[in-house]
Formats: sequence, structure tokens, C-alpha cells
Amino acid sequence: MSFLTDNREGIQHLLMGNEAIARGALEAGVNVASGYPGTPSSEIIETLARVSGERNLYVEWSTNEKVALEVAAAASFAKLRSLCAMKQVGMNVASDFLLHLALCGTRGGMVVVTCDDPGALSSSNEGESRHFARMFEIPLLEPGDFQEAKNMAKWAFELSEEIRNVVIVRSVTRVSHASGNVKLGRLSQTQRHAEFKYDDDALETYEGPAESTPVGHKHTLQQEKIKKVAEIFEESPFNTYHGPEKPELLIITSSVCNLYTKEAINLLGVEERVGLLKLGTTWPLPPKLLKRYLSTTDKIMIVEEVLPFLEENIKILAAEQAKEIGAKTFYGKNDGSIPSVGELNPDLVVLALSKILSTGYMAMPSEYKKRFQDSSFVVVPDRGRTFCPGCPHRASFWSIHNALQMDNRKGFVCGDIGCYAMGRLSCGFNTTKTLHAMGSGTGLASGFGKLAKFGMDQPVLAVCGDSTFFHAVMPALVNAVHHNSNITLVVLDNSGTAMTGFQPHPGLTVNAMGEEAPAIDIAKVCEAMGAVVEIRDPFDLEGTRNTLNRLIEKEEGVKVFILRQGCALSPEKRHAKEYDMRIDEALCLGEDCGCNRLCTRIFQCPGLIWDREKNRAMIDEVLCVGCGVCSSICPAEAIKKEEVA
Amino acid sequence: MVETATDRKLEGTVKTGDRNQFRGQKGLQDLVLDANLCTGCGACIGLCPYFRSYRGKTVALFPCTLMTGRCFDFCPKVEVDLDNLSEKFFGRSYDGNPLGSYQTVMISRADEKVGSAAFQAGGTVSAIIYFALKKGYLDGAVLTDRDGLLPIPRFVTNPEDVFTCVSSKYSAAPTLSALNQGIRDGFTQIGVVATPCQVLSTALMRSNPLDDKAFVDPTGLIIGLFCTWALDFRPFEKFVSDRVDIKNITKVDIPPPPSDMMEIYLRGGQKIEIPLEEIRPLVLEGCSYCADMTAEFSDISVGVLEGQPDMNTLIIRTERGRKIVNEAQKEGYLVISDMPAKNLEHLQSAAGNKKRRAVIKAKQEGILSAKILEKITRRSHVISD
Repeated sequence: MSFLTDNREGIQHLLMGNEAIARGALEAGVNVASGYPGTPSSEIIETLARVSGERNLYVEWSTNEKVALEVAAAASFAKLRSLCAMKQVGMNVASDFLLHLALCGTRGGMVVVTCDDPGALSSSNEGESRHFARMFEIPLLEPGDFQEAKNMAKWAFELSEEIRNVVIVRSVTRVSHASGNVKLGRLSQTQRHAEFKYDDDALETYEGPAESTPVGHKHTLQQEKIKKVAEIFEESPFNTYHGPEKPELLIITSSVCNLYTKEAINLLGVEERVGLLKLGTTWPLPPKLLKRYLSTTDKIMIVEEVLPFLEENIKILAAEQAKEIGAKTFYGKNDGSIPSVGELNPDLVVLALSKILSTGYMAMPSEYKKRFQDSSFVVVPDRGRTFCPGCPHRASFWSIHNALQMDNRKGFVCGDIGCYAMGRLSCGFNTTKTLHAMGSGTGLASGFGKLAKFGMDQPVLAVCGDSTFFHAVMPALVNAVHHNSNITLVVLDNSGTAMTGFQPHPGLTVNAMGEEAPAIDIAKVCEAMGAVVEIRDPFDLEGTRNTLNRLIEKEEGVKVFILRQGCALSPEKRHAKEYDMRIDEALCLGEDCGCNRLCTRIFQCPGLIWDREKNRAMIDEVLCVGCGVCSSICPAEAIKKEEVA
Repeated sequence: MVETATDRKLEGTVKTGDRNQFRGQKGLQDLVLDANLCTGCGACIGLCPYFRSYRGKTVALFPCTLMTGRCFDFCPKVEVDLDNLSEKFFGRSYDGNPLGSYQTVMISRADEKVGSAAFQAGGTVSAIIYFALKKGYLDGAVLTDRDGLLPIPRFVTNPEDVFTCVSSKYSAAPTLSALNQGIRDGFTQIGVVATPCQVLSTALMRSNPLDDKAFVDPTGLIIGLFCTWALDFRPFEKFVSDRVDIKNITKVDIPPPPSDMMEIYLRGGQKIEIPLEEIRPLVLEGCSYCADMTAEFSDISVGVLEGQPDMNTLIIRTERGRKIVNEAQKEGYLVISDMPAKNLEHLQSAAGNKKRRAVIKAKQEGILSAKILEKITRRSHVISD
């Protein structure tokens, strides 16, 4: 039975952290869920979308995180329960509304789930979203394992309703994407009726207009709420302690670092010497609870990822209570015991612990690590990051690169967020030269495109994907058109939010729940904005290159070039080969050709390989998806394509 | 001689014996493209997937790591052994004559059988190529067509198509890419109509520098065009489009001296004149090092004739050139007569001046080594400083 519909209390399922969060929301009776896809958060909305019919939910992939948060807030204002999920960068996008929402307060239980990515495994930064809780004065919960992920998600709705404000649940990659056993609770049977009441006094936050003003009044209310939260957190079962009554060292931690620390204590066998205070409620910190534990010893270590959020807040509490609890020695990020960049792991915690406790335990010696890598890499081929076989981005970047080379004026491309962020690597022929936030490529291009009066004569291009276009490119494009910035935006339209797993977006005819939806036509939008628009199939390399060169030549205004070709991994394309590819060995001249192995050295599709013995190019039948593009790059016309019957 | 313009760089940066490291794309990039010596002749275009020509400029799409290449060996802007080429095509070492090696200098124009097209001057080039294609002396011809102001290389097999390519183009054209195409397509008697740098490259190609055992000269006739410079297409196009609508241009001409104007003819019979002074800043940097006005390694070379706008100057250099010219005359495609002595004098002085300007420029920029400068100065009839 699916964990989504299993209503047997106490039954265990093996759940991914994100599934556990979704289950928790279902147990809380969530009505509306919204979000924007982004690793490692996407599975929360996807999971809820799967039972939208059965559980009578409304689930949507919103245009961007700010809109998603507004959609969820509307449900809360109508006294429904709502959840909004995003990755850490999404919090930045949503934060403008979040500030106002926190001041205004919520009605039905409302939870924001943010999934951070320490170490930037799937991100272009390792942003830290915990600070939003402190900055906006709202509660923050951090699950320390998978059971907690489920329990916390559920409880967060209750807390939200109790204090009438939004609650943040913060996960990280290793919680969201790892799996563990989770005992289920009962699914909610409550039916809620949606109604937005606004007739009460403006100062009333439950049945009056939903506003963040008058600020003085609302801010006072908000601070009363957060004080109440601190009291609630004093008794929270999500804060746990394991260890002796008077430990030599007290470790305070949260989130997945809880698991790393447990493992490190176990590895070193220092259970009798070390106490572990795991906090699940990390903003506001419960002061009495902390005072109690800080009093037990003089040495405190804080284990956390990214910024020293806990460390600094605990130090403030310790300073305030110094007279009673005495002076402490702190170990953490500030003194260098714990690395300030990247993910943690048990080994890094062992290293810090063994230094403080002088256990003499050697974490994995660097020598061993090197030997291990050396012996592994003998059999592992050297593989860089690359686009998939048949990926339209390879074809698009090939043509963009060649157009810019031929144009010969040192033109450049401002990159954006999606698989095509790899345009800066050799698989994208090192074509993109900037990479920042969603939509920033077009915004930067808009600025670069106005620098002609200062002597800049380089052609300025930007790329963006179809989903990114709707998310954050549109305002930047409006800006470029309105200011007559001389740029060419190439929309790499692969018909889906491909990098995160083909979530639908406003350009498609289906929504998150699988229902038919009106699609918004990117070309028409751009034309309406006043841009010159051309559309092509990027698999036509020379035609694409030609059109792009022509567009770049235009001296004024915004040109939009839409390259439309579905992602090679999209459900429609998968396992559907358009062409059978083969190398005509009589035509491939190998090293004697003079092409200097253009196909495998430069084009580098994983479906093309070089047979050293035959001194010929080969098609890797397993990897090739039969897109046919490589047949147009071979100067000897040795790569043959035949339509699959 | 200026085709050795990069010699100092080779001498200065490459130790003897290491030179092989650079005889490919990297060498061209360092010594020619990055040094701004390229005149976009098209010799390296179409030999491999890397070099492309776009709006008059030659660019490398991706880096090629091969140590040697035809791109390098055929490039007229890399060091050229002029003695070797002169020995090969004229049976004597290079002597620095302003007009190069030649048999005779005549004047000529198209005869009745050619009909009338919008020829530049006497239509000699069109007449000879038309005749040679028609009579089977050539199986194809490399010409230069035009799209707006942009010169477009064309490989022509139908004699009548010759007339779509008449008239001079004044900006750099990758004409030799059409020669590479013709060779790849298996033509063996190719006529080439080319500027001096292109003719020099063709001579390099014909000298089989890579010692290919199977090499057979694929050309049937090389017609060199007199050339004093070529314009950088992009700024030229901008210059003209700031003044007229390019779509309306029917012909561009620079009449022989004493005229000092570029004439642009427009649809509806209108004509605008632009002083050459205004055009000269748009000349390709690489042209200012060129000492060859009359395409010295051609079979025949053709240019305008001072004082007679309906006639051409015709330099006959080789036997195969002489043969086709004679046949064309005999069969009524070409009218030939003697060159007035005064014209010859002027021609020699103009060609000598180009040589002198080039050497002075090269000397100023320090591009020629002292050794080579001395060699040219000693041999040349015209260079005294």
C-alpha cells in the first residue's frame, strides 16, 4: 500500500525525507500545496500532486517561489492549511512576500519548507535560509532524521495555527534525499471550508483584511507571537539530549549533523564523555533549555553546516546568562574546529572531536584517501560533466559558439540556471561567461547591452530555459526591450523543467496535478513585449547558426531566438530513436582526416566514441539516442543517419 | 618580399627544429590571425572543419591540435620561399622585378563572341574564362560573385554563369574556399581568378609543399587581378550603408588614375563618388605589407589600363597562359594589341611603388628581419632606401 494512502497508525515505511515531509502534511490535512521545482526540494510537491485527487488537494507548480508563497498564503487566509516548498535560492525569491506575510500573520496553518543544499551539490551556491527565520521573526524547525521530518511537518501546521503565523521547516539534501524508516500516523479526516473573511477591524489579524500594516501594531503582535513560540519550544520533544549528566564536552547540533555527530561519538567510543543536545527548534532558541544544558560543562561544541547560525545565537544566550552559567569555551566554525564551507560528514566531526578530547584517533588519513582514489581511478574512466546524448543544449551551444566565433567581435553569452548552466564547460564549448541567479543572465545582458556609449562593441547574448523564462526572465526582458538594449536572448526551449525532473511550467498544456492547462506561448509573449522573434530547431545546426549570426548583426533592440527541441530524457522522447546512426568506416579517415577528431574531441557527445585500434569514430549503441545531429558535423560525411522505420 | 612578413616572428620565437610545432592552426593563429596579417583569401577555408570565413574575416571555430596542416602551408601570409616558387613556375630565382616574371605585356578587351555584360573595363577576364570553359580548356572556374557588397566565392562550370560574376569587388573575399571545394569535388582543370595574395597561395598549393606523392596540379589557368589593397568588409559596409541603401547598388568601380574616386552606381542610374582618401582607413592591415600588385605567380595577370577605360592591361607570364590567350584571340573571344611604352612605364612605377610602401611599412613595424630586408633591397630594381 502506498505510504500516501496507508492509514494504519504505527506502520513503518521506508521514506525519503521529502516523502516523509509530504506524508506529515497529509496527516496534518494540508489542502493546498505550491512550489517551484529545485533540487533537493522537488519531490515534496510531486508526492503531494500524486494524491491530489484522492486527498482532495490543490497542488501547483507555480511560476516562481514568490508566487508559490502567495498562492499558499491565500489558502491560509481562507483558513485552509497550506504548504509551500522550495530550495534555498527560492527562499530569496519568496522572501519579499515572506517579510510581509510574517508581519501580517496567517490563519489556516501554513508551512514553508525550504531544502538547503550545503556543499552546493545541485546548486550554484550554498545559500543558508535559516537566517530568514531570525530576520523575519518566525519559527524555524529542523528535522534531525526521517521520522522527525514527518512528525515535524505535521506539527508545524499546529504550531502555525496556534501562533497564527507562518512556520519554516528547513531540510537539507541529506535529509530530503536520503531515506529511513518512518512510522506513520493517521491521515487527517478534517474537511475545511474556504472563506476569506475581511469584515473585522483592520487591527484584527484573523477576520479582518490581510495586511502588514499598520506596521507598529502588527510588529508588536508578531513579537508577542515569537515570544510565545520560545516558550512552546522549551517543552518541545524535538529537542533531545543523550549523554552523561555532567559531560566533559557538550555538543549542540541540528538537522543531519545530528546523525553525523551520533556516528562520530560512536566511532570514538566517547559516549561517557560527551553529551549531545540535538535541537529541532532552532529559532527562536529556547533559553531555559539551553541554560540548563550549558550549565553542565565548560566546553561547548556546535556542529552545523554552512553559516554559524546556531553558534552565534547560542553565544548570545550564553553571554546573557554568563553570570549564572560561567564562562565557556566554544568550539565550532569561528575557531576553525568545524569547516566553514561545504557539507559535513562523520569524519569531519570525528576530526574535530578527537582534537578537543585528545583521543588520538586518526580520521581517514589523506594518504589513505589518495591511495583509494588512485586505485579506483585506474578502472574508472575520466568523465567530466556533460550533456546527455541527444541533448538539444549541445546542439544549441554548438551553433551559438560557432556564430560568436564567426562573428569575431568577442561576443559572449550570459548564462542562467538549468542544465544549460553547463554551457560554461567544454560540453557547452565554454560558451557562457556569467552564471548567477534565475533570470540574471537576461538582466545582466540588458545592462551589458547598454554599454555601447562607453565603447563596448561586443555582441551580448543571454540564454535561458523555458521554465526559467517564466520564473524570472520576463521582467529582465521587459527591461531590455523598454531600454532598447542591444541583446539577443536565446531561449533553450526543451519543453519542461528538465533539470529537476520534467515538472510542468506555464508554457505547457498540463499542470502539476495532470490536468489540462492553457499554455502560454513564449514567442507571442516576446513579440508582445516588442522583441524580434525567430524560432528554430537547434538540431538544424547550420540554419541555427545562420539565423543567430543574422540576429546578432542587428544593431538595435532585443532579439529573441527560440530554439525548440524536447529534452532527450523527456517522457515523450525516451526510448524513441528517430535515427539509426552508424559510422561509414570507408569514409571515416581517422587521424588521417585532418579533422583532428572533431566528433569525439570537440563535439563530445557521449554516444560517440573513438576506437583506438581501428583509428575510427564509433557509435556507442547503448548510449546513442539517435538524434542525428552528429551526422552534420563530420566533414567527411562518415556519420550516417537512417530514419528508424 | 612581404610574404615573408612573419619571418622575424618565426626567427624570434621558434628555435630551429621546433618550427614543426607551429605548422598548423596554432601557427596561423599566432603568426597571421593574431598579428592581423590575414587578408581573408580563403586558402584555409574548406580544408578542415575549423576555419571559416564570415563577412570577410577568417576565424577558427575551435582549436586544432595537429602539428602540421595545409592551412599553414598554403597561407600566403606565412613565410614564403619566393626563390623556390619562382624556380618552379618560371625556371629562375626571384629577382624582385616590380611586375614579376613575364613574357609580354599587352592590352586587351573582350571580342564579339563574348557578347556584352556589365564588364569592368575591357572584360578580358570574363572573356578568357568564358572561352576556356566553353572550349574545354577548363572544367570549372573559381570566381567571385557578390551579394550586396559582400563578395561570395563561386565555383562555376557553366560558361554562361561567368557573366553573373563580372565586375570588381573591393573588399576581401575568401575566393580560394571555392577552389578547395572544386578540388574536393574532383575537378582537375580549374580556372582561378584571384588577387595577388590568392594567386600566391595557389602557387604554394601547386608546389605541393607537403610532398603528397599522389599530387597532381588541379589548375588549368591562373588569372591574377591587379590589386593595390582590399577593404575590411564590415567597416566598408557600414561606411557605404551610412550613405546609400546597399540594396540599390548595381556596380562599384574605381577608375584608373588620375581618378581618385570610388564610384558607386545605384539603381535608376544615380552615381555617388567617394574620395579614396576616405576609403583608405578601411583597408585591411594585412594589405599594407603586400608588395605584389600584379599577382606575380599567375599564368596571366589582368588590370585596368590608364587612359583607356574600355581596355585592360594583360601580362602574359607562362606558356599555358599564352596558349589560351592566343586561342581566345584566334577564335574571336579576345582582342589584343600592343602596350604603349608610356603605359608600361606607369605600370612598372605603380607596382614598384606598392613594393616600396610595403617594405617601408614592414621595416617600420619591425616585421621583417634585417637579413631579409637586405636580400630584397639588394635584388629589387625599385627599392633603394
